[in-house]
Amino acid sequence: MKKIILLLAVLAALFGAVVFIGASFTSESTGENTLVIGMSGGYKPYTFTDESGNLVGFEVDTWEEIGKRIGKNIEFQTADFSGLFGLLDSGKIDTISNQITVNENRLEKYDFSKPYVYYGAQLVVAAGNDEIVDLGTLKGKKVGVSLGSNYEEMIKTFDTEGLIEVITYESYQGSLQDVALGRIEAVLNDRLAGMTAIEESGLELKLAGEPVEMLFNAFPFAKGNEVVIDEVNEAIEAMYADGTFEEISLKWFPVNITDN
Amino acid sequence: MNGFDFKYLLEVFPIIIRALPVTIVISIFSMAFGLILGTAVTFLRRSSLVFLNKSFNLYVSFFRGTPLMVQLFIFFFGLPQIIPVLSKVNAFYASILVLSINASAYISEVIKATIDAVDRGQLEAALSLGMTKFQAMERVVLPQAFKIALLPLGNTFISLIQGTAITFMIGLKDIMGVSKVSAASSYRFLEAYLAVGIIYWILTLIVTRLINYLSYKLSKGGVI
Repeated sequence: MKKIILLLAVLAALFGAVVFIGASFTSESTGENTLVIGMSGGYKPYTFTDESGNLVGFEVDTWEEIGKRIGKNIEFQTADFSGLFGLLDSGKIDTISNQITVNENRLEKYDFSKPYVYYGAQLVVAAGNDEIVDLGTLKGKKVGVSLGSNYEEMIKTFDTEGLIEVITYESYQGSLQDVALGRIEAVLNDRLAGMTAIEESGLELKLAGEPVEMLFNAFPFAKGNEVVIDEVNEAIEAMYADGTFEEISLKWFPVNITDN
Repeated sequence: MNGFDFKYLLEVFPIIIRALPVTIVISIFSMAFGLILGTAVTFLRRSSLVFLNKSFNLYVSFFRGTPLMVQLFIFFFGLPQIIPVLSKVNAFYASILVLSINASAYISEVIKATIDAVDRGQLEAALSLGMTKFQAMERVVLPQAFKIALLPLGNTFISLIQGTAITFMIGLKDIMGVSKVSAASSYRFLEAYLAVGIIYWILTLIVTRLINYLSYKLSKGGVI
């Protein structure tokens, strides 16, 4: 009997400790006035960590500015890219700020803010590869895309006969590494991220041909968040109007990626 | 891509180590709950009520038979679709819950086997002395069973520690999550993953030492 009481006491202590410690690990400030922004933290220069481990990048600056303008606290939640939409669906984050491209499937499920980035999808290949210049020349080749991203759909739409082998990666940098190592022939991703990655990584890579398709990115919200979306849209418009977006963009990129 | 950057390896260590409390706390709590749950499940599986033992055999079969990542995704992303209140559970608690349940299935298998390994005569002798079945289990069989179980339970704990590496999928910044983010920011894959690998390895070595020490103590006749 004593042992059972002891066991129950231990169990109670464990639960108490877990709740107590859990509170210190998870910054649960789900106050009315807080927006939780999900991002991968591994997509340079949009969202990444600096030398001392702080989350920085274009997305972080953008949301800190939006937060100021709409008078809300902004909290960033990093998770693997493949987990971000799950976090959004289960209400653990309010939106995703990770260069989410607006497409039809996503529009069915989410309400998007106004676009904040306009870009071209770009193929990246090994420096010595002059063979691949567009989706047509990819036939019979292996191309890497990020898991849960828009690029796989883009290839599938073009490649109705299934001649292009699509390999999905958890990480964009991992896919570039594989092009450099010769495991795959190309990566399809955002043009600017490609340019930055080639410059910074020192990998033997280059952009192949012209951008494949022009697209725009925005922030997805769960349906029924019209009030917040309106506020965010207003902030986005104001940031376009007074040049703040251009400023943030030029801080991270050689060109203005928010330019329509 | 210019070879191995030893300086970066040294730089990334302290960054990853900052997330170590998350990994350690999740592992220890999951193991503690797993042990209690696993022991309880073992007794339910030994119950003479067919319904109970069948359903808990199914429980063990499911949680040993599916990857931890699948269980985590089902609980964290899947179940809130039908039980909306579950979306209130944050990544920290969800990780502990899923890891505990997963570990309890393995632990139950270990404990079940070790109870069987204790000579049946021990139980019979205890009963013949007038102990109840519960007393016989608690005072005679279980202490011996735990002694045999110690090494395999140590293995379960080590797997559990390494299992925490998937929790960044649901947004928990453990040491694996921090090294993924660091690798992506620096393009230094080898260095970042080597660093986190070494940290897991050291954790495993510490646990192994601890288990060996306990096992040595027990072999000299002590009980837990």
